[in-house]
Amino acid sequence: MSPRAVLCIVGVAVLLVDQPRIFAGDQCVTCHEAMEDAPSKLFSHDVHAAKGLSCADCHGGNPKADDPDVAMNKKAGFIGVPKGDDISRMCAGCHGDPEAMRRYGSVLPTNQWEKLQSSVHGALSTNGKEHIVQCITCHNAHGVLHVKDPASPVYPLNVVRTCTKCHANAAYMRSYNPSIAVDQLDKYRTSLHGIRNAKGDPHTAQCASCHGSHDIRAANDLKSQVYPTNVPSTCARCHSDSTLMARYGIPADQFAKYSRSVHGIALLQKNDAGAPACNSCHGNHGAAPPGVESVSKVCGTCHALNADLFSSSPHKKAFDDRKLPECETCHGNHEIAAASETLLGVSAGSVCGRCHHGDENAAGYKAAKEMRQLADSLSDAEAKARMLIDEAEQKGMEVSEAKFKLRDVHQARLQSRTAVHAFDEARFDEVARKGLVVAEMVGGEGQAAIDEYYFRRVGLGVATIIITILATSLYLFIRRIEKKQA
Amino acid sequence: MKRTLKRLYDWLNERMQLDDVIEFMGKKYVPVHRHSVWYYFGGVSLFLFIIQVVTGILLLMYYKGSEEFAFESIQFIMSKVRFGWLIRSIHSWTANLFILTAMIHMFSVFFEKAYRKPREITWLTGMLMFFLMLGFGFSGYLLPWNELAYFATKVGTEIAGVVPVIGRPIMVFLRGGEQVTGATLSRFFGFHVAVFPGIFTVLLGIHLLLVQRQGMSEPLTPPGEPEKELKTMPFFPNFLLRDLLLWLIVLNLLAILAVFFPWELGKKADAFAAAPAGIRPEWYFLFMFQTLKLIPARLWIVDGEVLGIGLFGLAGLLWLIVPFWDRKSARGERSRFVTYIGVFIVLYIIILTIIGWAS
Amino acid sequence: MTEQPTIGVNEKKRDFLKLVLGGSLLAWIGAILYPVLAYLKPPAQAEAEVTSVNAGKLSDIPKDSGTIIKFGSRPVILLRTPKDELKAFSAACTHLECTVQYRKDMGLIWCACHNGKYDFNGRNVSGPPPRPLEEYKVNVQGGEVYISRKS
Repeated sequence: MSPRAVLCIVGVAVLLVDQPRIFAGDQCVTCHEAMEDAPSKLFSHDVHAAKGLSCADCHGGNPKADDPDVAMNKKAGFIGVPKGDDISRMCAGCHGDPEAMRRYGSVLPTNQWEKLQSSVHGALSTNGKEHIVQCITCHNAHGVLHVKDPASPVYPLNVVRTCTKCHANAAYMRSYNPSIAVDQLDKYRTSLHGIRNAKGDPHTAQCASCHGSHDIRAANDLKSQVYPTNVPSTCARCHSDSTLMARYGIPADQFAKYSRSVHGIALLQKNDAGAPACNSCHGNHGAAPPGVESVSKVCGTCHALNADLFSSSPHKKAFDDRKLPECETCHGNHEIAAASETLLGVSAGSVCGRCHHGDENAAGYKAAKEMRQLADSLSDAEAKARMLIDEAEQKGMEVSEAKFKLRDVHQARLQSRTAVHAFDEARFDEVARKGLVVAEMVGGEGQAAIDEYYFRRVGLGVATIIITILATSLYLFIRRIEKKQA
Repeated sequence: MKRTLKRLYDWLNERMQLDDVIEFMGKKYVPVHRHSVWYYFGGVSLFLFIIQVVTGILLLMYYKGSEEFAFESIQFIMSKVRFGWLIRSIHSWTANLFILTAMIHMFSVFFEKAYRKPREITWLTGMLMFFLMLGFGFSGYLLPWNELAYFATKVGTEIAGVVPVIGRPIMVFLRGGEQVTGATLSRFFGFHVAVFPGIFTVLLGIHLLLVQRQGMSEPLTPPGEPEKELKTMPFFPNFLLRDLLLWLIVLNLLAILAVFFPWELGKKADAFAAAPAGIRPEWYFLFMFQTLKLIPARLWIVDGEVLGIGLFGLAGLLWLIVPFWDRKSARGERSRFVTYIGVFIVLYIIILTIIGWAS
Repeated sequence: MTEQPTIGVNEKKRDFLKLVLGGSLLAWIGAILYPVLAYLKPPAQAEAEVTSVNAGKLSDIPKDSGTIIKFGSRPVILLRTPKDELKAFSAACTHLECTVQYRKDMGLIWCACHNGKYDFNGRNVSGPPPRPLEEYKVNVQGGEVYISRKS
């Protein structure tokens, strides 16, 4: 074949293969590809290239000129390699402009730069000149791929690697926040989310799922998705989606249940930051909080006294033998209701009766029944004493001292509820009886005050009668004297 | 029984000539006329004073007059001491009724011009006793050391301090310091249970002695009418028994008030707390308090409060020495002018008290 | 002749009236004396319970100890720390109002109900309590300890 023929064939081949560029007449690409530099190599797969954008659309300059001085001329708008915030500003030039995005048929949001600036990553870098993170930090500069592209650094399976580039680098993180953890990845890999993610499941949670992407805020920032009061709804985004959860065979009602529970109400309605959110029991990045055998033993980290009592009670061995979770068995997990006397005992609605039937486990049955009776009488005694004191107070009698002693009854009730967890009748009896004694005394004082109230009125009545008789007889006596004098 | 009493009487008589006293007392007569019902108010006031002394002494058994314990000791009396509630409520109610009956007594004497010669000293001692009564009321009010009392005392002594020149030393003297503190409580306690009762008893003795010596004043005859011979009744036993009957009814009234309207205690005084809303003095000071509120802050060169206090001081002084400037009454004639002044003052007090109450 | 029965009736009336008068007078005296005498008899509780403005003598409070004192209707815990500082806090736990206590072995204030712990500044350091304990002022005057509210 003649050299010209080869050139022709090559020319056609090049035409066929490198259509877009040759038709675009883009000299930037031509030169830089010839130089074989990294940006041009990466750019070939870039999603912007697919949309017909090229170097000059970001860097400026004249793409038609093949003379570098003309092409990369400031007068032609060439900005060179942007540094620092200029990079992100350049991206935002299109990505923040809804018109521009529409022109290219994109439905991407246009507020990423805004969000980034107010996020924790928008803070000033240690060099003082730019934000900590620019768009290209996570998205790369020249090989930007669609988020659904498995090769994209922000594809679900790759997000972890992208984030840990900085966040697992202790030396780097120390310059910003010495106390921040850098072991999230290790912990994450022990969790079900992490394991699934490692196995290639793009639907399971990774960093961005909980922390967000552009609007990541510090955990103690009220607006953060991982601020304690926001954590339940963040988890619920996936975990309340029944179709998604069906794939894994997990129920999707935990958030609903939790919202009704005493913990949920405390956290979500009363804004008590001490109440547990999902991560308090299930862990943040790891599967469970440290030092705990499993989620079922987590309760003791806050409810220490109850856990201690339980561990030294006969139930511990019994539950372990039957492989029953400890606290959860009686109290539930997500839908934990506020404790009340109804939980204890052998009647309907009580949990003890579930195992302790009349003849089986008879000792336990008896203990449960009696403890419940005692708890009920203590509750009744407190109510009665309080009612009497209130009545006396209403009547205007002075009962502040007795009212003060009522606190001890209240305290005994609370302590007895904790003492239950030893499942020892004698112990429960000791605590509850203290309360009963005081309640009786206070009730007595209240009743005495009420009786005194009536005594005063009766006494007044008697005194009035005496005075009336005396006054009348005195009056008659006076009249008689005066009649005599007349 | 009768014989033992006679023997006792004879024994005393030998040493004190009781016979003369009995004879004198047997000759006492009380005139009976249209206005003689007012005669009773002096006796009722005396009765209420006796009640105050008795209940006051009983309260002294349990009251503790220090900043720390005053409030709690009264709480103790109201709740833990048997019938403590009764004694305390009677004491508080009687204080108010005492001032009321004393005022009625004072005004009835004023309108009857009973202060005229020869009863000028009786009037003076009576007026001094009345001022002491206000002192009793003011000092006693602080003793529970509750919120209302604390602030009322603060305001009251503050007003005293406004008097030019001598005001501040008087205020510091009253307060036992610059501020109202436990020292004030100690002083007021001393005034209330020792100083005032002592002086009052002396004045009362003089007052009663004079009434016994001079007998009851008779109303002035309208001009142009002949002097009428008035009906009389003997003091012993008629008027006395009637007096006792009235006192009995008043006692019952006090018991009813104590049971159905027990006196409140409120909250313990806290110097650092804000004054409760609607703070105002007891009703018998209300008209003066309200007057001060009505006077503008500055009148020409004079400070409003100073003017107010000055006016009241002057009015009080004139009222005190009325027997000496009501010349007509000294001659045994009715002075219309003085009557009108009296009417004006009564109306003024009533109207301003109501306004002060309602606001 | 005709007068005698009326005189007799009048006499009977007189005696009856005198009887009623005398009797009701005695009853009245009794109705006055009974409350007065009952009042004078000291009640079972000899004195008003101190609402703990005065918490006793400083010399009676051992170092490294805590006592509960009634402050009106509120419980207050008075601590004398190992460093010999006097501190007073509301003894009502901020969790569910149980009365806290000083635990020498733990070196902190502890709530028996749910294991709440507070440090010597009243700050909640562990357990369910959501807020620190309210602090009270402690003054020592003339060897006596006085507790008052912080204004």
